Amino acid sequence: MTVATTNTPLLERQYARLGALLIAPTIVVFSLVIVYPLLAAIYLSLFSIYTPTLEGDFVGFANYWDLLSGREFWNSLRVTLVWTVGTLSLQIVLGVGMALLLHQNIWFRSLARSLVLFPYFLSTVVAVLVWRWLFNDLYGAMNHGLMQLGILDMPLDWLGSMPNAMIGVILVGAWKYFPFVVIAVLARLQTIPDHLYEAARIDGAGPIARFWDVTLPQLRSVLVVIILLRAIWDFKEFDLIYLLTGGGPVTSTQTLSLLVYQEAFALNQMGQAAAYSVGMMLVMLVFMLVYLRKTGGR
Amino acid sequence: MKKSSFTSPALPRRSVLTGMAAAGAMAAMPRRLVAQEQITIRWWSPQSSPEQLAAYQTQIANFEAQHQNVKVVFEKTSDEGYAPQLAAAFASGDVPNVVTHLPSFAVSNYWRNGLLEPFNDVIEMIGPEKFYPGANDGYEVDPGQYAGTSIGNSAANMMWLRTDLMEAAGIESAPRTWDEMLAAMEAMQGGGIWGAPLPYGRNSMTSLIFIGVIHQAGGQVFSPDLQVAIDTQETRDALEFYKAMRQYCPPGATNYSWGDSLTAFVSGACATGIYTGRVLINVNTQNPGIADNVTCALYPTKSADIPHWTFNDFPSVFIPKAAPNMEATKQFAAFLFDPEGYIQQLHAAPGHVLPVLQTISADPAYQDNPIIEKYSAEVDKMAAAAANGYNLGRESAEHQPNAKAGEIVNSGVIAELVQRVVLNDENADQVLGETTARIEEIMAG
Repeated sequence: MTVATTNTPLLERQYARLGALLIAPTIVVFSLVIVYPLLAAIYLSLFSIYTPTLEGDFVGFANYWDLLSGREFWNSLRVTLVWTVGTLSLQIVLGVGMALLLHQNIWFRSLARSLVLFPYFLSTVVAVLVWRWLFNDLYGAMNHGLMQLGILDMPLDWLGSMPNAMIGVILVGAWKYFPFVVIAVLARLQTIPDHLYEAARIDGAGPIARFWDVTLPQLRSVLVVIILLRAIWDFKEFDLIYLLTGGGPVTSTQTLSLLVYQEAFALNQMGQAAAYSVGMMLVMLVFMLVYLRKTGGR
Repeated sequence: MKKSSFTSPALPRRSVLTGMAAAGAMAAMPRRLVAQEQITIRWWSPQSSPEQLAAYQTQIANFEAQHQNVKVVFEKTSDEGYAPQLAAAFASGDVPNVVTHLPSFAVSNYWRNGLLEPFNDVIEMIGPEKFYPGANDGYEVDPGQYAGTSIGNSAANMMWLRTDLMEAAGIESAPRTWDEMLAAMEAMQGGGIWGAPLPYGRNSMTSLIFIGVIHQAGGQVFSPDLQVAIDTQETRDALEFYKAMRQYCPPGATNYSWGDSLTAFVSGACATGIYTGRVLINVNTQNPGIADNVTCALYPTKSADIPHWTFNDFPSVFIPKAAPNMEATKQFAAFLFDPEGYIQQLHAAPGHVLPVLQTISADPAYQDNPIIEKYSAEVDKMAAAAANGYNLGRESAEHQPNAKAGEIVNSGVIAELVQRVVLNDENADQVLGETTARIEEIMAG
């Protein structure tokens, strides 16, 4: 009895030490790749720092005051939200539509399922170069085709004026990322039990009713995850927009990521850029909290 | 007893010993060379057409042949991308050894922040007397200290013209004033051909070209003592002219940068162009059908009494202070001006980057190039314009060097001024007021 009371805490302590030892690598990696950059960004945001030298003066919350009182952050936040909602909506519609199509017993289904992933696998730089060529005012296939069809009299300025630039960016973003939705939705579609559809047919449900009453409710859980993940990824999208429009015309397509980049590397104001990043992170935190809530913290 | 060969009168002992010593020294020499540390020199440039890359490889090979322990690696950057790349390089300490072809106004900012190695030694190695007079003035940011030097000159806002289209439109000579320019545009535009590929994008080209237009209106961005002086009637006139030109530019000019603008003229889509002498090689290789009908002139001004203003970005060479192997780096920087390689580099895009050394301009080897021979009048015109050229880093001979010019260009504040007034039709007075405030903020930052 005496032995048991003295040995159990010792064993527990040994297990605890072993547990700490086993979890230590994860903690170290987590601290290095997440905690340190996060704290560094917050720390930098309290200084006025010249980027190439990373030297500067402590300015307290001045960068945050500039963020709150200036127009740049709020304008870019508005642009980011327009871009995110626009491209995400299209991705979901296109992705679900294509997944439904590829779920049917069509010819060359395997080939089609492979090809539909092509935009997602393509390098963003290559994809943007192709789209810039398609959108080109003088030689672009888009203008050429529309003029041949008689829809346009003169070439359209796709990327240099509003709202065309935002529409163009949203279209290219949807094209590039909708395959992710296809993969996830298609996987879920294949697990929906057939008897649910049989029961619906027996009840007299047509194809549209079956979609709304059977398919969509079954897809709900996967769609919630897709929407939240893609919303986070689209919110911080940089390369596609930067390469397509550079944020222009004026600042009409300048999202928060581009604003941070502009501040850090064009104006060499790393402190202000860090403050914008922290602001951006706080907005993204909302997405993350929703995600955690919807997925039950799994 | 057999005589030893060492005592042979035909081969005296002294000769044998001398030979052995020499052989020993020879044998030791490779070991000494091998023992030298192998070093790598990294060279960055935004100028990297295939012809230029070939010229760089020749220069690298020649230098490596003379310095067997040195390996030179060329790395591309870009006109729009160098600022962030260099900022990251400086911040991390992982800097290139030599950077070439960046505009001179980018250099002074790095110098002022203590990021560059003084270039005086390299200029001495090249020979200061070989440079055109005043060629290095823009790099003397602090008295007696050079932040870099020019690897060439450029006349970046030359007006390129199609003589066949001018003739068809009944235009006898290149327009001298804005009114003549607009009339020429009206006459030449049509039949699927646009008037001009002026840039209206949110990029450095729009900023740099429009700074030229302000000067062509008789204005300036800064006063000589670097007070912001952009909110003037001259800038409003420049904006009006730029707005009037919009109808003669392709729809996509709202997103044009250097490459798009160049291609628009070279392809024949526009009757005029605005670019450096790179037009010449591109026309001859990509659209030879118009090669005999291409000429250039200085870009028109608001009225004939306003002198022309040429944008010369003074393509630079500089060395980051944190670069390793400084001695070899300086030797390589000076070697870039070695006539054989330098001329090949200039010939890679004849007329695009013009020689900054008088000795090279006069060198028959430089003149011996089919493009330079064919377009000698145009090349001479560009050389003369570039010699009197300026940029935002120094807007005139009276202006102080502006160390913040690079940040002003990179911020896009002037391109945004153009876009807001010309494309969005916003109130010029209000936008100019805001632009002034933003530039003052950058200057104070």
